[in-house]
Amino acid sequence: MKNIREKLSKFDFSAILAPVLFGVFIMILWQTQLLHKLIGTDVFTLPLPGRIVRIILDNSPTILQNTGATLIAALGGLLFGSLLGYLLGVLAAIFPKWGSGGLTIVSAFNAVPIIAIAPILNNLTKSISDEPQIRSMVAKILVVTLTSMIPMSVNAYRGLTNVKPFSEDLMKSLAASNWEIFSKLRLPNSVEYIFTALRISVPGAVISALVSEYFAEFIIGVGRQIRENIVLAQYATAWSYITVACLVGIILYVLLLIAEHAVLKKRR
Amino acid sequence: MGKIKKVLSSSKMVTVVWVLGFIAVWEIGATIVGFTKRTPENVLPHIYQIFGSMFSTKLINGSQTALQLVLSNAGVTLLRAGIGLVIGAAIGFLLAVLMSRFKIVEKTIFPYLMIIQMIPILGMAPIILAITKDIDQSRIIIAAILTFYPVATNTLAGFKSVEKEKQDLMYSLAASRYQIYKKLLLPTSLPYLFSGLKIAAPMAITASILVDTLQGSGGLGTLLSQSLKHAMSIYVFWQIVFVSAAIGILSYNLMSLLEKITSPYAKNKKKGEIK
Repeated sequence: MKNIREKLSKFDFSAILAPVLFGVFIMILWQTQLLHKLIGTDVFTLPLPGRIVRIILDNSPTILQNTGATLIAALGGLLFGSLLGYLLGVLAAIFPKWGSGGLTIVSAFNAVPIIAIAPILNNLTKSISDEPQIRSMVAKILVVTLTSMIPMSVNAYRGLTNVKPFSEDLMKSLAASNWEIFSKLRLPNSVEYIFTALRISVPGAVISALVSEYFAEFIIGVGRQIRENIVLAQYATAWSYITVACLVGIILYVLLLIAEHAVLKKRR
Repeated sequence: MGKIKKVLSSSKMVTVVWVLGFIAVWEIGATIVGFTKRTPENVLPHIYQIFGSMFSTKLINGSQTALQLVLSNAGVTLLRAGIGLVIGAAIGFLLAVLMSRFKIVEKTIFPYLMIIQMIPILGMAPIILAITKDIDQSRIIIAAILTFYPVATNTLAGFKSVEKEKQDLMYSLAASRYQIYKKLLLPTSLPYLFSGLKIAAPMAITASILVDTLQGSGGLGTLLSQSLKHAMSIYVFWQIVFVSAAIGILSYNLMSLLEKITSPYAKNKKKGEIK
């Protein structure tokens, strides 16, 4: 009991109160339509928060279906991309001279806009399946795979090579085999770096999934629905999909932070 | 003999070999596609075909060759991305100064900076277009939003990396707030500002191209969607892929160059940098 009270007294309430008040302030501006006057728009293009929530609740089956499609693309790509990226990092750590050069090339791909990659992969995967639903999904997953592979490979390489000075020499002098050095020194050292990479690639995966949906053949997914509804001038529905997209991004990131906390805490 | 070996083992050579390897893989893929597909240029053309089309003098829309068309549109896209980048960087920097100056501003704003990082801004591109009703404005706004938060968080980390002792010293020498910022905080935070800009610059270009695709009014994205619908030679699309990749990489290098010019004394080691 005393412990909790101590923690509470140490806890800085303004750190929570200030941002919450700010958020409430914006919400009030929004609900009273002062925000609309400020940025010069109307309730039709920027619906009130209550209406957006109601649309999400009313259309929950359709929205869930689209969210599912986006999640499969984002998480599937994230999984394959992270595995592939880590593997590349391992290869680069085994052959450092050629590997680090290769990683420079890989990180150059980081600057290539997703917009340019998505249509290429769409074309490449045309013949994979006769079902447009399946081949679009494959194309989307490939886009996300590429974008999440890059931060993982660079960070995995860093984690596998940035070991404590002399620790490798020490293990060598104790006649540790290469495999032992890898599994007992390099691998554990890279765990922290895996999370650094994921902090970049989780939001990146959501964005790539949304953008690749724009170009996909089969019309499904949160990103595509945002666009389709705006074309139809159904702004309120588009806003509800935007809200869902933001929620997906935030929830995935928070889950990552929880996982990171759990894993890294155990190691300490 | 020794010289050749030295050249072969230099780091530039490693890069060259990797680039050659990449070209080889592409070409093997293109050859396979060439044999198996009816219209191979839609799927994966040979690299020499793409570069060949860049130098062809055939006029595509009456007055411009394919490359001229792509480059003039790339200029439009770059200009808008550039304006957005500058505005976003300015706002981000100001915000970082405010956050470092007033604790309450930092407490209020910083959580939202974290949240912005998690939400897909690019997905909101169409709605920003709907609000502003002007394609140029929305391009600039989205590029600015994507720029301001990496700049703000990184610059703030830069301000915080300044040793307390240095600030105390300046304070005890009766330096004004302005002098402390100008002579101590600003130079220290510059490398951080640039690592923010290095993240932001390619993103601003991506954003600009994406917004282009929403409405036709010039720019790489407009051209991209037109050529994908076969309104013009498909090689225009492939040129756009190469050109946008090139400007993405160049924008990153430009930021590194600016960093070297403005802070040549900066140490490589940075603490608490947000990547």
